[in-house]
Amino acid sequence: MNLKPSAIDVEKKFHLFSYTLVFLMMACVAMTFSILIHSVMPGWHSSIIAGILLFIVIDRLYTYQGLKSITALSSEWFIAYGAQWVVIILLSRFLLSYANGPDALIRDLTLLARGSFADLVTLEFFVTFFLELAIWFLSAQFLELLDEIGLDMKFVLSEEASQFRSEAEPAHQRLVNLIFSVGIGLVILAAMTRIDWSPIVSNITGFPLLQINRFSGGEAGALLYFVFGLALLSLSRLMSLQTHWNRLRIPVSSTNLVRQWAVYSLLFLLTLMIVVSLLPAGDSLGFFAVLGTLLSFLLGVMVFLSQLILAIILLVFSLPFLLFGKSPPLLNQSAPPPLPIMPATSIPPVSNSPFLELMRSVLLWVGLAAIITFAFIQFLRQHDSAFATLRKSRITNWLVLAWQWLYSKVDKTRRLWTQALVDGWQGIVSRLEGKRILPRPAFLNIRSLDPRRRVYFFYLAMIRRGSEQGWKREPSQTPSEYAAQLEKALPSSTEDIDSITKAFVQARYSLHNVNPEDANIVKAIWERIRRALQQKAKDKTAPDR
Amino acid sequence: MSGTFLPLLVVLLLIALFMRGDFALTLIYLVIGALAAGLRWSIGALAQVQTERHFQTHAFLGEKINVNLHLKNNGWLPVPWLELRETLPVALVGPNNFQSVIHLGPRGEANFEYSVQARKRGYYPIGPLSLSTGDILGLRDSLQRVAEADHLVVYPEIVPFTSLKIPSYSPQGTLRHTLPIFEDPTRVIGKRGYVSGDSLRRIDWKSSAVSGQLQVKVFEPSIALETCIVLNLNADDFYYRNRIDSAELAIVIAASIANWIIENKQLVGIMVNGRDPLAADGRPQTIPPRKGKPHLIRLLETLARVEMTDQSVLVPLIQQQRYQLGWGTTLIVITGKASEELIDELYHAQRSGQNAFLILVGMDASEEASRQRAQTFGIRVFSIASERDLNIWTQKSKQV
Repeated sequence: MNLKPSAIDVEKKFHLFSYTLVFLMMACVAMTFSILIHSVMPGWHSSIIAGILLFIVIDRLYTYQGLKSITALSSEWFIAYGAQWVVIILLSRFLLSYANGPDALIRDLTLLARGSFADLVTLEFFVTFFLELAIWFLSAQFLELLDEIGLDMKFVLSEEASQFRSEAEPAHQRLVNLIFSVGIGLVILAAMTRIDWSPIVSNITGFPLLQINRFSGGEAGALLYFVFGLALLSLSRLMSLQTHWNRLRIPVSSTNLVRQWAVYSLLFLLTLMIVVSLLPAGDSLGFFAVLGTLLSFLLGVMVFLSQLILAIILLVFSLPFLLFGKSPPLLNQSAPPPLPIMPATSIPPVSNSPFLELMRSVLLWVGLAAIITFAFIQFLRQHDSAFATLRKSRITNWLVLAWQWLYSKVDKTRRLWTQALVDGWQGIVSRLEGKRILPRPAFLNIRSLDPRRRVYFFYLAMIRRGSEQGWKREPSQTPSEYAAQLEKALPSSTEDIDSITKAFVQARYSLHNVNPEDANIVKAIWERIRRALQQKAKDKTAPDR
Repeated sequence: MSGTFLPLLVVLLLIALFMRGDFALTLIYLVIGALAAGLRWSIGALAQVQTERHFQTHAFLGEKINVNLHLKNNGWLPVPWLELRETLPVALVGPNNFQSVIHLGPRGEANFEYSVQARKRGYYPIGPLSLSTGDILGLRDSLQRVAEADHLVVYPEIVPFTSLKIPSYSPQGTLRHTLPIFEDPTRVIGKRGYVSGDSLRRIDWKSSAVSGQLQVKVFEPSIALETCIVLNLNADDFYYRNRIDSAELAIVIAASIANWIIENKQLVGIMVNGRDPLAADGRPQTIPPRKGKPHLIRLLETLARVEMTDQSVLVPLIQQQRYQLGWGTTLIVITGKASEELIDELYHAQRSGQNAFLILVGMDASEEASRQRAQTFGIRVFSIASERDLNIWTQKSKQV
């Protein structure tokens, strides 16, 4: 096998760091186990159990490289692992005994010497043995995967590597799955550590009490497990990439890639932890509190019903005893099931600043909404077939159509609103910029107007007077059309109306200069039209008299 | 993403419900944050990477071209790893493509240089460059971006002809000719005494005044060689056993003839029925006869790009384009087989004042029949089976 020195060096570092991280992760698991045992069985030696579990992890890390080459189920394998487990069992048994004092140890040794093995297997020892098995197996799983990544790299550097292509799921992906799977279990265990198990341990009928504000230490174990897990993933990612590049003979041009990777990983995790620690968690969760209370109550009702059913079944089974005049064995011991307690009104947390609390709450819920949306999108991406089936579904089609309809309506409304806003804004701006052809009448001073605006003024005066006398100008009418309408009413002023209309059109729509003389002529024309209008008004009123 | 992510999220949310948030929420932030931030980082970093490729885009056969690849991270986000894979044509580099892995810091840059060998004429893509990166934790699959490819034109081989004889009936050019009917009034080679019947326009009045006798100018005959090379790249018109080699030889002949004509300061154009990867409809553009080196480069670029094609008969192309060529233009048809329709068309071209010159490339059983038929119609035919046969035009000719 022709390994590159740099590759070997990197692999050694990888093993060192990854084994350290695995040890830390397993330590977190052992810590959570220990805290849970302490919570459930305060009389047990939880710290001793944690120590034994850590010893097993160290032993596993130390001996794994040597024992992995042994053929499974061979005599050598049985001897090696058998010896290892004999030592582990004896150590754990006598440590647990010693924890009760030297006398207990001597008593247990005597029992062992007499061959009374059954007396040595207590519940505490049995649970410890089960946990030892679990942590031994978990450590092996991590080490196997890490070793596989390392072994893969050795293999790809060998001569026959070019023909090898693994069809299995990459080791790194399996490591991600393993870390998350163990993490799920650990989170559940950490949640269990916050429950007050004393009622259920002392009295079977009791319902475990959730202690919300209690910090058990298991949470820290779970949290640290994930932090170390992410660090291990970063390391594993680098190694699997290096394996991939070596397999494809892709040269790594950057000499400091590994070092930079370590720096970026540390920075990434540190930043993540700082951000996570700043985010709100627990003191502004009104909705969570309500949901949690509701679920607790529902759970209590279910437990009550199940205990009620159990009591009825016991009563039925006790009837034969009553017939024979004997007291039933179980009926006396079972206490009547307690009624579910209605949820008490939760006391809102004391807040220093209502605004700060509001902000934290908003931040939390926005974050949660983003998380749920993100998770949902990822789920759909993972399940392409489900997405395709959903698309084919009639209900989905209706929903899509409904969404499109709603979207089109909303979009239309939005456009209308936008248009209205734009129009309104433009109106305001044009008013501010003085784009009205004439200033407001209240401030009007004809002498102050320029000749062009004076022409406007006289023409608009004609329209206003005409409107007052019944010849209103419609908004759709052009100046020429209105002139024709007015000329019918004032046949004597046809020329004047034509002249003033032409003057207005020229002043309004052309760039020609309007002289003051022209404005004066328009004024004279307007005077004549005004008199004609006045005459017309008089003529109208005369027959009425 | 790992399949265990969603169950973890569900468990954490349930615990958050029971525990009123607290550490489960912190874990949700941690896990989602790691996933989302990692994904955002890799997407953002990949989008910020800018690539540039610098190289000499045109090369002659046998040249070595150095390609300079420049990568720049325009953003402040570092790229922890970036896998580069440049797709290169096998004809230029063989099986070894350029590939590398780099790390780019914030605003970091990287330069790479590799070379390709212009081993065969053609129009080659240099690239595309595939860029891969991913999140630092490996929670998501790698992301890929493909940077656009650039193109390299490798000109066809040019055989330096020295004694190529191409018939032309275009008078008053720059090529000397033996037939007196092509006398060029701008090329005076001497004077002689006036003979009855000489045109008054040919009298050299100054010499006549000096000598006291009427002298007339003697002109050198010359022709203008306006040529259109017609290259047939229809696959069916080449003998199937050596189709590819024959087509390549035809392109070499076309390029060499064009080079020779341009060197002799004559006009040359080209008409090809192959496939041009740059043309919108795939048909190469017909280039009308022009002079000069830039024009030669244009012709060579077309010849570098064209490829053999199916179902593209040559005769309709000649029929369509022939009427746009001037009187006296020489059509040099380079083909593998000469069908009856093609010979008929060339005969029609001759009848309408153009010259036809047929070059049969490669070996074909029907070659002799085609040759006889073409000669019957007065069309000159050359057979070139291999590149060695081009020696007839590379040796110095005694007779000019």
